[in-house]
Amino acid sequence: MFLTRSEYDRGVNTFSPEGRLFQVEYAIEAIKLGSTTVGIRTPEGVVLAVEKRVQSPLLESSSIEKIMEIDSHLGCAMSGLTADARTMIDHARVTAQNHSFTYDEKIKVESATQAVCDLALRFGESVHDEEAMMSRPFGVALLIAGIDELGPQLYHTDPSGTFMKYDAKAIGSGSEAAQSELQDKWHKQMTLREAQILTLRVLKQVMEEKLDHHNVQLAQVAPQIGFKILDEKQLKEIIEAM
Amino acid sequence: MSIMEYNGGSVIAMVGKDCVAIASDLRLGNQALGISSNFQKIFPVTDRIYLGLPGLATDVTTLRERFRFRVNMYTIKEEREIEPETFAHLVSSTLYQHRFGPYFIEPVMAGLSKTPSGGVKPFIAATDLIGCLNFAKDFVVAGTASSKLFGVAEGLWEPDLEPEDLFETISQTLLNAVDRDAYSGWGAIVHVITKDKVITRTLKGRMD
Amino acid sequence: MPGLPQQRQFNPYSENGGTILAIAGADFSVIAGDTRQSEGYNIQTRYAPKVFRLTDRAVLAVNGFAADGNMFVKSVKQRLEWYRHAHAKDMPLRAIARLIQTMLYARRFFPYYVYNILGGIEEDGTGAVYSFDPVGSYEREACRAAGAAQSLVQPFLDNQIYFKNQLAAAGTSHPTHLPLPTVLSIVIDSFTSATERHIEVGDGLEMYVVLAKGRTLQGLEGIRGMQELTTTDDGERVFVVRRELKKD
Repeated sequence: MFLTRSEYDRGVNTFSPEGRLFQVEYAIEAIKLGSTTVGIRTPEGVVLAVEKRVQSPLLESSSIEKIMEIDSHLGCAMSGLTADARTMIDHARVTAQNHSFTYDEKIKVESATQAVCDLALRFGESVHDEEAMMSRPFGVALLIAGIDELGPQLYHTDPSGTFMKYDAKAIGSGSEAAQSELQDKWHKQMTLREAQILTLRVLKQVMEEKLDHHNVQLAQVAPQIGFKILDEKQLKEIIEAM
Repeated sequence: MSIMEYNGGSVIAMVGKDCVAIASDLRLGNQALGISSNFQKIFPVTDRIYLGLPGLATDVTTLRERFRFRVNMYTIKEEREIEPETFAHLVSSTLYQHRFGPYFIEPVMAGLSKTPSGGVKPFIAATDLIGCLNFAKDFVVAGTASSKLFGVAEGLWEPDLEPEDLFETISQTLLNAVDRDAYSGWGAIVHVITKDKVITRTLKGRMD
Repeated sequence: MPGLPQQRQFNPYSENGGTILAIAGADFSVIAGDTRQSEGYNIQTRYAPKVFRLTDRAVLAVNGFAADGNMFVKSVKQRLEWYRHAHAKDMPLRAIARLIQTMLYARRFFPYYVYNILGGIEEDGTGAVYSFDPVGSYEREACRAAGAAQSLVQPFLDNQIYFKNQLAAAGTSHPTHLPLPTVLSIVIDSFTSATERHIEVGDGLEMYVVLAKGRTLQGLEGIRGMQELTTTDDGERVFVVRRELKKD
C-alpha cells in the first residue's frame, strides 16, 4: 500500500497527487500497533476495557494508564502512542471544565469529542516561517465514553480528526478480530454487567497472555455514578464470572 | 452623607372615609448603627391633629417643643382649638423662617377639620424641610423610605376606606416599605383618627 | 493660556431611566418593562424596548445605560447562536444565566452599565427568574424589579408576591406561586403606580409571558393586546402583551 515512497511522504500539509495525506494515513497505521481497546454502549451505561501489555515481569503494571477521566460524566480509553493522548485528554478536560464554568451544565459527549478532534486537526496549522505548534498528527485513537441528556454514548476518534458514534468499537492491534466478535455478540438491550463480561471476553480472545486483573483495565460510565475505573476487587469478580 | 439620613425614620399619612391615619417606624439610628427601637416621631397636636416629624432627631425634639408652645399660645389667644389647615400653615411658616438654616425635618400631618354643617373632613399635608406645603387628597410620605412608601401606597391605597381598612392599608404600606429601607423599621406605630376616637396601635416588625 | 495644564475628560456612561420587572409562576414566567427612554429630563423616545425574546423559553430584560444594554443583548444573542451551532440545541435557561454572569464579569473593570433580569422556563418545566447586578452577581428568585422605580416596585412585590407582613388565615398557608391572571394584574398595577410617581417611567408597557411546554393558555385567551412570538411548535410558548402607560 505504501510501497511507493514519494516527496509527499513528508509534509503534513501537502496532498499527494492521488489526494492523500500520507502522514495522517501513517498515523492511523500506528494505532494498529497499539494494544487492543474495546468500548461497548448499553442503555445502562458505557463500558471501556483495555489490554495492558506488561512487557517485563519487572514492570509495575499499575503504572500503565490507558483509561482516563475527562470529566465526572466522561471517560476515555486509548490505543496507539499513549503519550499523545495526554495532550488530547488535557485539552478535553480543559474544554469540559470551561463549559461547566461558562454554562453551569455538563458538556455533551459529542461536544467534548468534537473539541478533541478540532485539536487533532491542528497539525496542519504551521505556516512557513512560523513556529509550529504541532509537528505531526497525533498517533493515537480514542474511545470516548460518556452520558448526557441524550443518554449513554460511545465515540471513536482517529488521527485525521474524524469522529464517529458507535454501539461497540474495538481499536488497536487486535481490533479486527475484536470488532467482528462485538458485531456478533452486541445487542440492543445489553445490561452493563453483560457489557463488562463481553469486553473482557473479547479482549481475552485477542490477547497473547492469559487475561488477569493485572493485564486488563476496565472502566464504565453509568447514570448518577458517572465515570469510574473499576478497582482490582471488582475486576477480579468480573473475571471470575466470565 | 446627608443630614436627612443621619438618624433615619419614615412617616406616612393617608385619607380614609371620614377618617385619617398617620404612621411611622420606631427606629432611631446613628447612620447604620441602630440606637433605639422606641423613638417616637409622631405627636398629638390636638385631639384631632397628629404631627409626624421624620428627619434629624435633634430637630424632632426641638420642633415638637416649638409647635407645642405655638399651639398652646394659639389656643390661649384664640380661645379655640387650632384647625388642621391653620396648623399646616403654622408648620410651613415656622420652617420657612429658617429658609437659609433649616431644621432637617420633613413634617407630615393628619387631622380632621370641622365642616360648617358640623361634620368632619379628613385632612393630610406634608412639607419639605423649608415649609413648602403639599395638600394631597390621598396620601403623603416622608423620610428615608419615602420612595418605597410612594410605590407601595400607590399600589395599595384606594378612596373611601373605613377606619379598620385604612389601618390595614397604612400598616401594610409602612411595614413593607421600611423592610426595604436600612434606615427605617424596628417596629412601627399607627394612629387612626376618627370622628369620635383615635385608635393607636403599636406594630411588631422585622428587627433587622 | 499657554503653558497652563488642562484637563479633559470623556464620560462613557449615561443613565436612561425606565424600569423592568419579572415574576415567576409555577409553570410560566412574566417579564415586563416600560418603553420610555430618557436622558435627564428629556424623553428621547416613547418606544424603546427593554425586554427581548432570546429563545422560545428565555426572555431578557435590560435596564440602565441603553447603549450598553442593546449591545449586551446583541452579544448574548450571538453567543446563543454559537452555542446552537456548537451543541445542536437551544441553550437551557440556567446555562443562559451562567453565560450572562461570565459575560458581565469579563467586563469587571469596564462594566456594561446595566441591570439584567432573565425570565423563562427551566429544563424541569418550572417558571424561573434570574436577576443580575452589572458585574455578574446573580441569583434565582420568584420575583424582581430593577431600574429607576425599583425602590417603588420591589416592596410592593414583597407584599403581593411573597405575602410579606401578611398572616395566612388560620389553617391555611400562602400560595408559593400565583396564577397567571393575578400576576399580570400585579405587573400592570406596579407599572401604573411607578408611572404615577416616577418621571422616568411611562409611555408604554411590554409584558412577555413564557409558558411551559404543554401548558394551556388558561386565563390568557382574553387578554387585550396579546401577540404570540413562538417560533416552534410542541415547545415552550412566548407571548407579548402591549399596554399604554400615561405619557405625562
